[in-house]
Amino acid sequence: ANWRYAHEEYDGDVQDVYAEHFKDYVEENSDHTIQIFEFGQLGESDDIMEQTQNGILQFVNQSPGFTGSLIPEAQIFFIPYLMPTDMDTVVEFFRESEAINEMFPKLYADAGLELLQMYPEGEMVITLDEPVTSPEGMKNKKIRVMTNPLLSATYEAFGATPTPLPWGEVYGALQTNMIDGQENPIFWIESGGLYEVSPNLVFTGHGWFTTAIMANKDFYDGLSDEDQKLVRDASDYAFEKIIVHIDGLADESLEEIKKASDKVTVTRLNEEQIEAFRKRAPKVEEAFIDMTGESGKELLEQFKEDLKEVQKD
Amino acid sequence: MTNSATEPDEAEGYASGLPGVLGVIDLAIAKVEAFMLAAGVLLMALNTCINVIARFVFGEGLFFSGEINRILIILITFAGIGYAARHGRHIRMSAIYDTLPPKGRKALMIFISLFTAAMMFFICYYSVEYILNLYARGRVLPALGIPIWTIYVWVPVGTAITGIQYVLTAIRNLTARDVYISTAVLDGYTDNESEV
Amino acid sequence: MATTLIVIMIVLLLLGFPMMIPLLTAAVVGFYTMFDGFGQMTTLIQQMMGGIRPASLIAVPMFILAADIMTRGQSADRLINMVMAFIGHIKGGLAISTATSCTLFGAVSGSTQATVVAVGSPLRPKLLKAGYSDSFTLALIINASDIAFLIPPSIGMIIYGVISETSIAELFIAGIGPGVMILIMFSLYSLIYAYVNKVPTETRSTWTERMRSVQQALWPLFFPVIIVGGIYGGIFSPTEAAAVCVLYALLLEFVIFRSLKVMDIHRIAKSTGLITAVVFILVAAGNGFSWIISFAQIPQAILEAVGVNDAGPVGVLVAICISFFIACMFVDPIVVILVLTPIFAPAIQATGLDPVLVGVLITLQVAIGSATPPFGCDIFTAIAIFKRPYWEVIRGTPPFIFMLILAAALIIAFPQIALFLRDMAFR
Ligand code: NA
Ligand code: NA
Repeated sequence: ANWRYAHEEYDGDVQDVYAEHFKDYVEENSDHTIQIFEFGQLGESDDIMEQTQNGILQFVNQSPGFTGSLIPEAQIFFIPYLMPTDMDTVVEFFRESEAINEMFPKLYADAGLELLQMYPEGEMVITLDEPVTSPEGMKNKKIRVMTNPLLSATYEAFGATPTPLPWGEVYGALQTNMIDGQENPIFWIESGGLYEVSPNLVFTGHGWFTTAIMANKDFYDGLSDEDQKLVRDASDYAFEKIIVHIDGLADESLEEIKKASDKVTVTRLNEEQIEAFRKRAPKVEEAFIDMTGESGKELLEQFKEDLKEVQKD
Repeated sequence: MTNSATEPDEAEGYASGLPGVLGVIDLAIAKVEAFMLAAGVLLMALNTCINVIARFVFGEGLFFSGEINRILIILITFAGIGYAARHGRHIRMSAIYDTLPPKGRKALMIFISLFTAAMMFFICYYSVEYILNLYARGRVLPALGIPIWTIYVWVPVGTAITGIQYVLTAIRNLTARDVYISTAVLDGYTDNESEV
Repeated sequence: MATTLIVIMIVLLLLGFPMMIPLLTAAVVGFYTMFDGFGQMTTLIQQMMGGIRPASLIAVPMFILAADIMTRGQSADRLINMVMAFIGHIKGGLAISTATSCTLFGAVSGSTQATVVAVGSPLRPKLLKAGYSDSFTLALIINASDIAFLIPPSIGMIIYGVISETSIAELFIAGIGPGVMILIMFSLYSLIYAYVNKVPTETRSTWTERMRSVQQALWPLFFPVIIVGGIYGGIFSPTEAAAVCVLYALLLEFVIFRSLKVMDIHRIAKSTGLITAVVFILVAAGNGFSWIISFAQIPQAILEAVGVNDAGPVGVLVAICISFFIACMFVDPIVVILVLTPIFAPAIQATGLDPVLVGVLITLQVAIGSATPPFGCDIFTAIAIFKRPYWEVIRGTPPFIFMLILAAALIIAFPQIALFLRDMAFR
């Protein structure tokens, strides 16, 4: 059969690379074909999600931040300092976390979705008009955020002024100082040219841009055991590939950025500086629990436990 | 797009072309529609202006401002299409239509009205289904926290009213001697229906 | 399926259906064919809603509202008087004043038609009295009003920006250069026309009169400052600039000039709502239509069939220009932008063309096409407003259309005409 797969990024971005690997695996190991739709071709993020729920699309890749209006608990990835910083530990976290591998699939199933895989796209980096190393330095900085109340809560907790803005206006708004900064994974900062207009990169270690690939649940349940295994294997295969892909990607993108502009500064916060930001996290956790209640609280506790688990060794 | 400054003012001038009770109901709907339309625009202006002022005075805009405008734009669009149908103001390309003799124009206008009405009822039906889907899924607007389905209720209402308006236009053309582009607007009366 | 949809759309359009119907019918047929029945029709509704969701669209009703307030008040007349006081007396001065007033008012108004009314109505009698032929006068008004579509604000640019995910602020700034270039072209033509036809010159205004006219026009002159300065300087987003314009227009006409009464507000809001609704229902229907053609991967098929993919950037630009120009000779510009932009999107992306440059060219083509026979919608506006026969209205247009096409060719050859201001502001 021909299966349709939509994601929310452009040609060559991380989600697209994941989709291509998924497609390759399925097409090589079966007679099925996969048709990939990029960002915007079938509407916005919420639209492709609904289309998947309706069964027009079989697979959809959506960042939990957007899924927040459907599954409030998914916003947990916006809580700062809930995930490890270095690549290897993050990968281990995604492989082994009970919250991600056992609790989330149930939440997604309730929304008619079979969660196939959650994976990291890259560490969140803040770009600003000047190098900032403390929450005091963030004071009054207008930081562009996606329209999500929890993400806003994070930047409020950091001392900044969160400013929701559509992606299309970000570059111009930075150029003309309507906003003072924004956050994104480094590859996105490079491909969007954001460093040209917001050259001070600050690695705060506060989180990873995470995304999830899922299938329409009725479609998935209706597959033969063999096909279900195929889909599972394809998402595992793409996961292994994507981890290798993003490992080099951040460094490569940073090199490209440094080559392209000599205005760029790179600030990596030390442990002490990070601690000052980390102290602000509980406020965001409270906001999260306010939004999600008991189920969110359980998930948060499990996240913390999982984090401790991977950081032990 | 039309500049409305050239148009005769429809608000005061509107008299229902329908007889008896139908006419009274029609007039009442017209009043409500006009009110919603004007209120929607003014609220949008107010909301957008307050948001700008808030951004300058307090350094940040209102978080829910965008969602309020999203609600209002649906209201304006779907209150407006009924209003536009009533006053024969939908954008159409009437160049070929205009060359037909009166009888041909009348027949074509009846066909156009009935087909347009059918399409409006069709959209109305599926917008109800869409709303029911959204209701079942329980998605909410991120900032306001209200269920998303509620912002779409004006869609079936607006398309139904528009559909009825076009059915009445067809009836009007079947019963009257002249050609009407809406229940109250005679063809050629405003002689600029082709633009906007 | 592509052919079926196109045929349905053209037939219904030509029959004189309200333009939302051809779009909706084609979309419904597309959904029916693609999903073997009515099972997925709710996605059409979803996409119609998605079409009017983008926050940037709010700028449309706001700019319409601001222009509506000012057209009913005194701002437009004051601007025209000032222009006349300064250049009315030179050779071809009245015609040049008309073009200049259109450009200036274009900085207030987002649409061609509003400009035809606000500038064309008061100036046409003066032009005729001064000895310009009616066909020249009508053609000048129609085409000079097109400059308003290029000078920010522009409803066409807002809609293109929303569909193609291009920065509206950048589009606005990039429209200024071409707008001014066309103004210069039209002015030169007016000058030549006045010499050839021996149109007498008007009396020169005294400096006292000029100072007075400037003083009178000072308040409305702040509009371009708010819009262009605000966006250029990074103070406002386009939507915010629109909101500030509304506040400013209210302040001017209600408080300073006292030309409108509070009761007028309801009427103005209603007419703004009406114009917004008839445009936005097209945006909604157009989005539903473009979803289904995108889902069926029709754009890729069309572009491949026509061989656009091998044409290179200039080839793609020329193809875009020709398609938009021809389509606008028949159909309302908004519908053309809605339908054709998504079809060309893959080609624009593949050739790496600057979407802002493409947007400026599309806006220009749309403006030219609308003034071009047989069915350009500006022609019908002029027929309706000035009550002149079709032939009279179109007779004088060829020189203007030629100049506009020349302008488009110049922009393709020298993209910096459009991009230099943008690059100065945003790069
Ligand atoms: Na304009
Ligand atoms: Na035009």
